Amino acid sequence: MTAHHASPSVPPHRYVIIGNGVAGNQAAEGLRSRDPEGLVTIITNNRLLFYNRYLLPLLFRSHKDWRELQSHSADYYQKHRIRVIRDVRVTAVDAGRRQVMLAHKEPITYDTLLVATGGRSYLPEELADSRHLLNSFGTYEQAMAVKKALPDRGTVVMLGGDMIGLDLARTLLSIDCRVVLVTHETTFWPHQVTPEVRMEFLNVLRDMGMDVIDGDAAGGVTAIEPGTAGLPARRVVFRQGGDVYGDVVMPFYGLVPSVEFMMGSGTDIERGILVGTNLRTNDNHIFAAGDVCQIWSEQEHAYRFYYGYQNVRAMGAVAASNMTGGNEHFAITQNGSLSRDGRGHIDSSFWAYD
Amino acid sequence: MKATDIQIALCGSAGDGTIAAGDILRNAVARAGYRVISFDVYPPEIRGFGKCISRVRITTEQSYALKRQSDVFVSLDDSHAIPHVGEVRPDGAVIFESQPVATVAEGHHISGHIHPGHIPYGIPLRELSEKSTGGGRSRNLVVLGYIAGLLGLAPEHFLSIIEKKFTKQGSEVVSRNQAGFHAGFQAGTATFKLDNVFFTPLGTPHGSEQVVMLSGNAAVAQGCMDAHLDTFFGYPITPATSIMERLAVALPKRGARLLQTEDEISAMAASIGAGFAGARAATATSGPGLALMSEMIGLATMAEVPCVVFVSQRGGPSTGMPTKTEQSDLNAALYGSPGDSQHIVIAPTNVEGCYRCAGKAFEMAERYQTPVIVLLDLYLSNRYETVTLAVSGPPFNLNANKPRPRLEAGEVYKRYALTDDGISPRAIPGDAGCMHVITGLEHNELGRPSDQEEMHAAMSRKRHDKLLGALQHPDFTVSKRFGDPGRVKVGLLSWGSTFGECLEAMFMAQAEGIPCAAMKVVMLAPFPVQPVADFMADCDVVLVPECNYEGQFAHLVQGILAKPVVRLSRVPGSPMPVEAILGEVRRLARGAVTAIAS
Ligand SMILES: Cc1cc2nc3c(=O)[nH]c(=O)nc-3n(C[C@H](O)[C@H](O)[C@H](O)COP(=O)(O)OP(=O)(O)OC[C@H]3O[C@@H](n4cnc5c(N)ncnc54)[C@H](O)[C@@H]3O)c2cc1C
Repeated sequence: MTAHHASPSVPPHRYVIIGNGVAGNQAAEGLRSRDPEGLVTIITNNRLLFYNRYLLPLLFRSHKDWRELQSHSADYYQKHRIRVIRDVRVTAVDAGRRQVMLAHKEPITYDTLLVATGGRSYLPEELADSRHLLNSFGTYEQAMAVKKALPDRGTVVMLGGDMIGLDLARTLLSIDCRVVLVTHETTFWPHQVTPEVRMEFLNVLRDMGMDVIDGDAAGGVTAIEPGTAGLPARRVVFRQGGDVYGDVVMPFYGLVPSVEFMMGSGTDIERGILVGTNLRTNDNHIFAAGDVCQIWSEQEHAYRFYYGYQNVRAMGAVAASNMTGGNEHFAITQNGSLSRDGRGHIDSSFWAYD
Repeated sequence: MKATDIQIALCGSAGDGTIAAGDILRNAVARAGYRVISFDVYPPEIRGFGKCISRVRITTEQSYALKRQSDVFVSLDDSHAIPHVGEVRPDGAVIFESQPVATVAEGHHISGHIHPGHIPYGIPLRELSEKSTGGGRSRNLVVLGYIAGLLGLAPEHFLSIIEKKFTKQGSEVVSRNQAGFHAGFQAGTATFKLDNVFFTPLGTPHGSEQVVMLSGNAAVAQGCMDAHLDTFFGYPITPATSIMERLAVALPKRGARLLQTEDEISAMAASIGAGFAGARAATATSGPGLALMSEMIGLATMAEVPCVVFVSQRGGPSTGMPTKTEQSDLNAALYGSPGDSQHIVIAPTNVEGCYRCAGKAFEMAERYQTPVIVLLDLYLSNRYETVTLAVSGPPFNLNANKPRPRLEAGEVYKRYALTDDGISPRAIPGDAGCMHVITGLEHNELGRPSDQEEMHAAMSRKRHDKLLGALQHPDFTVSKRFGDPGRVKVGLLSWGSTFGECLEAMFMAQAEGIPCAAMKVVMLAPFPVQPVADFMADCDVVLVPECNYEGQFAHLVQGILAKPVVRLSRVPGSPMPVEAILGEVRRLARGAVTAIAS
């Protein structure tokens, strides 16, 4: 069904998508096929076109140019007339004027807006001052910076240990790096695990060759310091005393939704943007999809996040349909828990992205 | 390892420091040992509005033309840069201001226009400038620093060029601009480079050569100085003015003279006077000035007085387009003067050629006792190239006069004696026993007015035949063939600044497997008939690309050789795009125009 038909007297519908991730790109594809005349604009603070971030750990196995990670070529965007404004940040949404404000003080007008800004890695407050000594792992550039900083068979200290980090850890172990995991309540995020399962899988990680430090027992991490001469580049200091050294220290404390710019837009926000299963917000012209939104669960009578590639992609498709007059509802496509693969190593449905 | 071949384009508004940044960039990379070709486009207005673009191509080996697509494109003013953003190659970088001072109207920021195949680098240029220098005016230096940091160029050459450039404005200005550069450099080094633009390290240069960076006009001025120019008379006109400006500084240092006359007629007349007096004399102008000089050039032809006229062409006719390039004064240079007034016309094809042609023009003027017009154009005058000069000194003959035989007792000096080669013994006022008359009237061997039929025929022949010697002038390339030897499908026949583009197009065509050759014709009058005829005989079809509407050079060739050529005559106001030439070469190679060519 194609809901919006542009006729010579009706200007084309302006769809603006904030976010160049899985949800945003899936939505753009859907919008283009459902409204061939519509103007589709993706806005992102990334420099690169959409690429597969799940593949970033592979950079440590072999050299991959970012072009090899890209999901679509530049021609794809040109052919489908999807405009991607890159390396710009959205600072606000003026729902009254239906305008997105960019950091360089340019407004972008929309008829229908999709917020698909995902999440960024969470950093506990006590580590904010040490940010410059930590290596994040959200983008190609950040992954390459880690690769550069990490010597052959070097040591990575992983703080937290969410599933994004543990995926990287698997790769690092396979190339003979040492991985020291400092556990936290977010270990295994987004899986919510019972204490027994947690214990079981921490042991699995040990069996895989990881050094596991009980972060709670150590009183948590209080600071990161530059390593002294002759020692690895970073020192992680624990509240109860004691420390651990690594060439690179990486926070993996799960993701927090990127919603700051939506404050003041009048859209309902809890931790993420609140939407129904049709991904509509309380503003008729604004939708949200992906890691940024909390979807109403009739079963749980609460708004909840649904992570994972397949869920997020399904959200993008539902959003595109409903932005063009459809009435589809998101249904969870990917759930699950921690498991073990044939070798007894940790596995998760979160890592199934194809 | 792949050789370096990077083109950086800076685009801004007059007053943004775009051209200054381009100048620092080309000088810094040239000092680092890279080869450069660079061309600035600027508006006729002085400050506050108008588009400025500085394009700098940096290579390991000297290149011959700018590329159509740059590898790095900088916007210092989005309103001017947006129409040019398509000039960036796939995976090329677009650097822009991410923190403009004022609100931007929707659709007026460059970020929304960058193609999906480009890499955007939004940089807070103004903020970095303000933080490092206390003001926003050093954005151009910040961006240079950013480029250097991003592409891994060492800062020292930039810093010393900045110091040199701003030293007259005081040490505070120097350190402010250096601070701006540093701020950009740090930001550039901290940025992860996504585009595949790389500088490859250079080998050691030859000791027998020195490489300098010159614009076409600077090379002309240098050639004049190295050929020991004695006097220069001029009247300012774009794009020739900077020849006079440079000579105004250089000539007095050597005790030589420069005079700004009241107009072009006087400038030409004074040059003839100085030439008559035995000095090496020159003037420089553009199309409108050449029109005013034409009567006087006829006088020099008739009186056989050596003098040199540099003509830098711009868009015409009349006042035309003063800041746009064109090659449309060829007819005026060849035929501008009334009467059968042939003189020598030479046209360099690159900046090094500007230097050589300038120096050689004085030799030829002296040797063949004639005015010599050196035809440049705005593209050549204003473009910068690294030029290799011999360390052993200037390659010019400082006295090219034909030796004058001693007069026998009682012999009368004949200023216009009819000789085998048409060149008469030249005396200058004050030479003992050589008192003579010169006049614009037709004359006999003594110089006395004569309108006898035989004398006019003999003198006309003399004035033409003596010039033929110039086709064999020592150490001067009259024409030269490049590319595939023997029979080729397409031959590119070209003159002046467009030859660089032809050469690039030829290389590209050869790489595509098209048998192709190119010939540059430097001497346009007298015309090198034989080499051009030989070249044309080797080509299935001859293409003549030139930046004028009428196909003036094509007319010349066809008129002299009575052979067909295919014209590619364009008046874009900018250099002929290599791709336009290549497109024609491909079309011709496919045999699309055999009918026209045969
Ligand atoms: C290294 C890595 C590995 C991962 N591995 C897996 C995995 O194996 N399995 C899995 O299920 N999930 C994985 N994830 C998580 C997965 O990436 C997310 O669940 C999914 O990408 C969410 O998609 P999204 O479209 O909602 O948001 P994202 O993909 O996060 O995209 C959000 C976009 O919004 C842009 N944006 C944010 N704020 C702004 C702003 N203010 N202005 C402009 N643009 C903005 C961002 O630049 C980005 O382009 C991984 C994540 C990372 C970083």
